[in-house]
Amino acid sequence: MPVRFVALAAAVALTGCAAIPHDATQQAGVMQGVWAIFITAAAVVYALVAGLIVWAAIAYRRRDPATVQGAGFSQNVPLELAWTVIPLIVVGGLFAVTYPAERHVESVVTPPAETVQVTGFRWSWRFTYPRAHVTVEGTSDKPPELVLPVGRTTEIRLASSDVIHAFWVPAFLFKRDAIPGIVNVYDYTPLREGVYPGRCAEYCGTYHAHMSFTVRVVSPEEFARWLRDHGTAA
Amino acid sequence: MTAVTAPPRELAKSGIVAWLVTTDHKRIGILYMLTSLGFFLIAGFLADVIRLQLAAPQQNIVGPAAYNQVFTLHGTAMIFLFVAPFGFGLANYLIPLQIGAPEMAFPRLNAYSFWLFLLGGLTVFAGVVTQGGAASAGWTAFAPLSDVRVSAGVGQDLWILGLTMTSISGIMTAINFLVTPIVFRAPGMSMWRIPIFTWEMIATALLIMMAFPPLTTAFAMLLLDRHTGARFFDPGSGGDPVLYQHIFWFFGHPEVYVMILPFFGVITEVVAVFSRKPVFGYTGLVLAAFAIAGLSMGVWAHHMFTTGAVANPFFAGMSFLIAVPTGIKFFNWIATMWKGAISFETPMLFAIGFMLNFLIGGITGVMLASPPIDYHAEDSYFLIAHFHYTLGGGSMFAIFAALYFWFPKIWGAKLDERLGRIHFALMFLGFNLAFLPMFFLGVMGMPRRVYTYPAQAGWGLLNLSSSIGAALITIGTAVLVWNVIVSLRKKEPLPDDPWGGGYSLEWATSCPPPEFNFRALPPIRSKRPAFDLHHPEYAKDSQK
Ligand code: HEM
Ligand SMILES: [Cu+2]
Repeated sequence: MPVRFVALAAAVALTGCAAIPHDATQQAGVMQGVWAIFITAAAVVYALVAGLIVWAAIAYRRRDPATVQGAGFSQNVPLELAWTVIPLIVVGGLFAVTYPAERHVESVVTPPAETVQVTGFRWSWRFTYPRAHVTVEGTSDKPPELVLPVGRTTEIRLASSDVIHAFWVPAFLFKRDAIPGIVNVYDYTPLREGVYPGRCAEYCGTYHAHMSFTVRVVSPEEFARWLRDHGTAA
Repeated sequence: MTAVTAPPRELAKSGIVAWLVTTDHKRIGILYMLTSLGFFLIAGFLADVIRLQLAAPQQNIVGPAAYNQVFTLHGTAMIFLFVAPFGFGLANYLIPLQIGAPEMAFPRLNAYSFWLFLLGGLTVFAGVVTQGGAASAGWTAFAPLSDVRVSAGVGQDLWILGLTMTSISGIMTAINFLVTPIVFRAPGMSMWRIPIFTWEMIATALLIMMAFPPLTTAFAMLLLDRHTGARFFDPGSGGDPVLYQHIFWFFGHPEVYVMILPFFGVITEVVAVFSRKPVFGYTGLVLAAFAIAGLSMGVWAHHMFTTGAVANPFFAGMSFLIAVPTGIKFFNWIATMWKGAISFETPMLFAIGFMLNFLIGGITGVMLASPPIDYHAEDSYFLIAHFHYTLGGGSMFAIFAALYFWFPKIWGAKLDERLGRIHFALMFLGFNLAFLPMFFLGVMGMPRRVYTYPAQAGWGLLNLSSSIGAALITIGTAVLVWNVIVSLRKKEPLPDDPWGGGYSLEWATSCPPPEFNFRALPPIRSKRPAFDLHHPEYAKDSQK
């Protein structure tokens, strides 16, 4: 019974993971792998432990209301060692999954194909392409659009000009804080053309809810054309 | 044992004055619990405002400015004025009883800490009537959002001052929780016979002493920044906003264990009594409490993975490790139930609800401890769901378990069982309906602390489900209030041990206990003195 329960949980978890986007950027693919492993492990552990709790509650319910005490045991050292050591091994495994994925996501390519300076302010964003002298700036009513070339690595240089914001593109499974006084640098390598919504994820005051933007991933040719068209605007 | 000096004489025995001037640990415990439950009702009402506003997309029932005050006060009250102080109240009531002492070590300090806590809570809420309203920088008040140039209102100052008072009050009360069980134990009550709840409070007290002074420091620095131009956190003058987060979370993470360790203790007691078994793995439970407390001092920056300013792998690894002692607790509870004779009175229902909910909170906590997952989930509704499963589905459920379990001891009458079951059913259903959808909302991209969301995001249905869940929770809470009102009017002659099978010393004195707690102490020869007294035929199973 418990085995079937656990298998079912794992199956549900795996289909659940499929709902998490995985191919919008190359980095997201790596992170989606971590999500899948953790969700599966979570489902299995939940099924096991919750199963034991419910099972114990049902199997050992009091049958005779006059019972003063059930069994009298209160320790079992080998068992207690087992449920200390086995979880240690499991979390060791989770760390082994986490560490290389994080290294990968955090690594930045030099030199990047493209660089964008992203600056958060209350309550919108400014995107500057320094080489092409292009700047796009939004307002809380007119969210700006970040245009990225597909298949190329773009370096994001993230900053803030007032309070802390966070630049979150859910489809990329990634956010980073925009902190005044710090420039946070990381890479996106988009793999699929499309338009993706993005939002501020660090509470920044009254109109935090309206601090959105979109990311449009286009072909390199279209990207070059877009830069040319907007270059004069700066 | 050290000779116990006579506790200070009460200035008045009854009436309002008696409560105002009391130094009796039981009365202070009751005051603490009642006050914290009052704040719970207020914070719960604020949660309903949140859920009403978010029930459908693009609503404007409360505007952004009001919404931001509402969630700030909701979070602040739940954390600083409800969950932690309820634990303090319970501990004030129970520690002397459980170790066979007549009083706390420092009764006047104890009274002082309660009144300071109440004053602090009222100060936070006083912001509501000031021009510009209450604080609205979230329960975390990150700099520079909480700086005077951004949050100019006096509400933010009152918030800082009020919470500083509760922080100092917490340190005072922790001194009592630490000293009392070490020096005031009755003859025969060795350290290794102290009930698990009291052990958890010792670990909690240590955490408070290490974590609350940094909180006080962080708040002092905020105030100096705001009013003297100290600029600790102002990057424009060489200050650092990340520094605030380090200090705040150096407090904030231990704080979440201050809000859970006491309730691990509650669950241990309730599970053992209703399973009719000795506590399984006593030593493991104690060691696990200290392991959790120790590790929790070294994980604070897992709240800062997305800042890009901390050593993420180190803090990820430390956070994963906490799962191990927490797992030990779960396995010990299950082993306590194993081969027991379990009955399902309301405290046990809430204890089982606690386990099933907290399990989800704990597992998703391990997920969040992995930076590649946190980069997506942090500050989304996934996070809101996670910590409500630990603090709401966990601590709050344990608080209800404690309320039903010790109510007869405190008041001399049981809460109504039938209403208790209805309360539990509404809570359990409502809670999961409210918070399970939030995991999905978070993964879909809904950020926390937004007063509204666009219709085309497709989050409407899940948010509606969450709001319906909140309504069920509210009805459940009304049932609880009704239950308390009804039960307060009855007084029944109760035996010392109304549940049958209570094992710690509070079950060896009358309901409610007399002044100074015990007319006569039973002999203490094992970890279950009350049980040995009432059921000598099973005393052989009691661990020495
Ligand atoms: C019982 C029913 C409860 C409901 C329906 C509820 C609902 C919510 C919701 C929807 C939010 C998110 C608001 C936002 O980010 O815009 C929230 C935030 C929060 N809740 Fe609750 N909550 C409940 C109980 C609790 C409990 C028991 C605690 C215990 C500590 C708690 C602590 C918090 C905290 C700390 C926040 C964060 C506030 C902030 O962002 O500054 N809540 N709650
Ligand atoms: Cu923002």
